[in-house]
Amino acid sequence: MLDFVTVLAASEEGGGSFLVKPGIGLMIWTLLAFGATLLVLRKLAFPKISEQLDKRQRAIEESIDTAEETKAEAERILAEYRQRLQEARTQAESIVARATSAAQKQQEDSLQQARVQREEMMEQTRRDIDAETRRAIQEIRSQVADLTVLATEKVTRKTLTPEDQRRLVDEAIGELDFEALAGSDGSRN
Amino acid sequence: MRSLSRKQILLLAAAVWLGGAVLIYAATGSSGKNEEFQPTGEFKLEEWLPLGFNRAVLYLLLAALLTIVTMVYIAKRMADRPNRVQTAVETVFVFMRDQIAGANLDRDMARKWFPFVGALFLFIWFNNMLGYIPLPVNDHEPISIGSLELPSFAIYAATANISIPLALSLMVWITYHIVGIRRQGLGKYFASWVPAGVEGFARGPIFLIEVISHFVRTISLSVRLFANILAGHLLILFMAGGLGVILGVAALGWFTLPAAVLFFLFEVGLVATLQAFIFATLTAIYLGGAVAAEH
Repeated sequence: MLDFVTVLAASEEGGGSFLVKPGIGLMIWTLLAFGATLLVLRKLAFPKISEQLDKRQRAIEESIDTAEETKAEAERILAEYRQRLQEARTQAESIVARATSAAQKQQEDSLQQARVQREEMMEQTRRDIDAETRRAIQEIRSQVADLTVLATEKVTRKTLTPEDQRRLVDEAIGELDFEALAGSDGSRN
Repeated sequence: MRSLSRKQILLLAAAVWLGGAVLIYAATGSSGKNEEFQPTGEFKLEEWLPLGFNRAVLYLLLAALLTIVTMVYIAKRMADRPNRVQTAVETVFVFMRDQIAGANLDRDMARKWFPFVGALFLFIWFNNMLGYIPLPVNDHEPISIGSLELPSFAIYAATANISIPLALSLMVWITYHIVGIRRQGLGKYFASWVPAGVEGFARGPIFLIEVISHFVRTISLSVRLFANILAGHLLILFMAGGLGVILGVAALGWFTLPAAVLFFLFEVGLVATLQAFIFATLTAIYLGGAVAAEH
């Protein structure tokens, strides 16, 4: 190692001083070479590289913006679809509910209608029965009258004038209570 | 034969290295100290052509050309989808723009002076890196083939010559003073040299100290670059055989060779870039300081 140092020292003594002696010519060459480099780089290289970097930066920013927009759009559409789905579901539910209630109402209506109809039919039947009863009573009366006339004739051997007979019978029958024959219609004594 | 494990490979390499040194020493021995060989001679400049054209000028022009061709070529075929080389250049460009210029200058100054600072970085970097590529430029120890004397391959760096860093430093020095004076006016510029908070009588001596420090900047800026590159080249030279030649022990050349490889990698991988970065960053700092009202 000591040898190494002495060698270095010796080499410095042995004409190494030119290493630290500046030369004007070389300095001018340096400035020329650097000046040319600077000029060319500033004119031809740096602006283009810078432009390209800026362009890419813009492209990246635009892509990010577009991606964000697309994402927002997608989210908006998704929300819309969800809302529509919800609406459709609600609508379907309301339709079902309405249909159910309509069906129920219709059922009730038809039940009511049937009841009314039945009532009417029963009423009609009742009226028919009443009318029939009355007619039957009338018939019986008439029959009884005739029979009575016949019976009286047979008993009395006397013929009354039809008018007298009828009057008499009617009086007799009028005294009879036929209401009982009317059944449920008449009040029973 | 089965493949060797890493440990065995290392052992084998160590054996070849040490055994080689012993064998070479046994074969050649020591021829005594060599007083003739001057390692610094590797850096001596002979004028090859008129106008002071020598090896350093050749290296300067080669580096300038390499800088221009590389950058313009890349710039011309900048693509939206960059390949690896373009990505690397873009990374360097962004580093220069944001870290070297942008971090030390305000926005306007950075935009205006980025080309200058960036060109300095690239120019010095290419000069430094060119210095680690062996080229047939050694006229000091020529190879003789018959009657033909050819320059031997050597590594040489233009930045290992004081004139080149000094010229660049002086250019930077003058530039930042002009920028400062134009921005602030002569009186205000010199007044801005005195740090804020120094009042009254103290302003005189402090100003003198600042003047000295400004002048020292030219020396520190140039010598830092020059000395680092020169030292690196000398170390590689010594370790790659120079020491063996000087001491007349050929075996020593073999023995120190691994160190030469390590120094070479260290210089290429770190020092060349670091020194270019420091030079360009200091330039940006000086420019930024020149336009600041006080520092």
